[in-house]
Amino acid sequence: MKTNTEADVRTDTGIKVMALFFVAIIFLALTTDPIKVGTKEGDRAPLLEGKAYNGSSWYEFDMDSYLTKNWTAGDAEGQWLLIEFMDTDCPFCVRSAGDVGFDAEYFMKLQPSHRTNSGMGPWDGPVVNFIASATELDIPGHETSRDEIKAFRDKSGEEVCDGKSCTERSGDAHPFVYIDDIDQDNMKEWKVPGTPAYFLVQPDGIVAWTSTENAQEKVFDAIMRITPQGA
Amino acid sequence: MVDQNLLLLGYVLPIVFGLVLMTKAGDGLGASLSGRQPLLEHARRRHMLGMNLVVLAGFVVSVHTLWISNKISEGGNVCSTATVFSCDDVLGNAQYNTDPVFGLPWGMIGMLAFGALMFITNSVSKEPDALWAENYLKYGKYMTAVGVPIIALLVSYEIAMEKICQFCTMAHIANMVCLFGFWRAGKMHEEGLWNDELPEDAKEASA
Repeated sequence: MKTNTEADVRTDTGIKVMALFFVAIIFLALTTDPIKVGTKEGDRAPLLEGKAYNGSSWYEFDMDSYLTKNWTAGDAEGQWLLIEFMDTDCPFCVRSAGDVGFDAEYFMKLQPSHRTNSGMGPWDGPVVNFIASATELDIPGHETSRDEIKAFRDKSGEEVCDGKSCTERSGDAHPFVYIDDIDQDNMKEWKVPGTPAYFLVQPDGIVAWTSTENAQEKVFDAIMRITPQGA
Repeated sequence: MVDQNLLLLGYVLPIVFGLVLMTKAGDGLGASLSGRQPLLEHARRRHMLGMNLVVLAGFVVSVHTLWISNKISEGGNVCSTATVFSCDDVLGNAQYNTDPVFGLPWGMIGMLAFGALMFITNSVSKEPDALWAENYLKYGKYMTAVGVPIIALLVSYEIAMEKICQFCTMAHIANMVCLFGFWRAGKMHEEGLWNDELPEDAKEASA
């Protein structure tokens, strides 16, 4: 009787290698619980990159420094992030700049009460650090620059935001950092469909809320609903 | 947590030992070890043992890098340091930690590649004189050669990040050693060193 022993060797080896492969996969499945990097609620937020302006100078932004890796749900100690994607020439961004600034100073605990939501006492939840990522949308008339980003943040200078002087935008100067995303790197990484878009990020870097998934809910209401308070 | 340098040593040793078995330096080592294991006196058997060791180390280190990637995505710190050697910074960088075509983690690609190489080296070890064995060694050489530009891409990522992932580097080294191993196996075929004749004492031992 003729038998092909060579085929047996390869079959035997193939089975052993596949068994080893599946042992490795089972080991990984049992010992790890990976979280997808993305920008939907429950995903791990991608890191924001670029030069940031804090009111006095431009520096390399390090999102990691804002995160608390060992944060657990309900812990009021860790600081949250509210990330705004905006364009200094986008009419909606210019109009909402006042509300964003008022929310920022309240949730960053820079003001004892909210300026437009009367009846709100001192914020007793965790610090929510606001960060703006300023991009340049591919729309005619939306040319921006670092000077324009500075002018928008500080409400100063002679730059033009949405056809008017940046000093005329609503609200006061913003107390938070602006990242230069003129090249749209962050916007593409975060798959932002349009501006303004907001993302509330937990201290451990997980996206807790997005304006795109909750179009009817305002930033203020989302922070009040999601963050732990009264600790 | 186990010291990461100790773990690294666990990968360095089999790769270095495997490489030694594949080179001329392995002749002396084989001779000294042949007292305990007579089969090691044969150059081809030493060579294939070395290749199997390196491929296995490459597979395990690939599993390890995928494990680290998963742990980082959970929010953990595995090997984060302020020095240039920080695999957390490399494997945790979402911009670079998956392949640009399929979006698979690089550790998974390493597992698949070394799994395929393991199939080749194990099969050839068992049937070195089979008609397909020489072709399989060629396929292994082509596979590891394709790995070279991919390694160059990954090294360019590390340069861009100004960080080095030491475990990834181990997998890269294992691939390069395998490329050498497959190339040398081809040379052994050409030079007639790939015969299946065992030394006399090895025959007696296996009898």
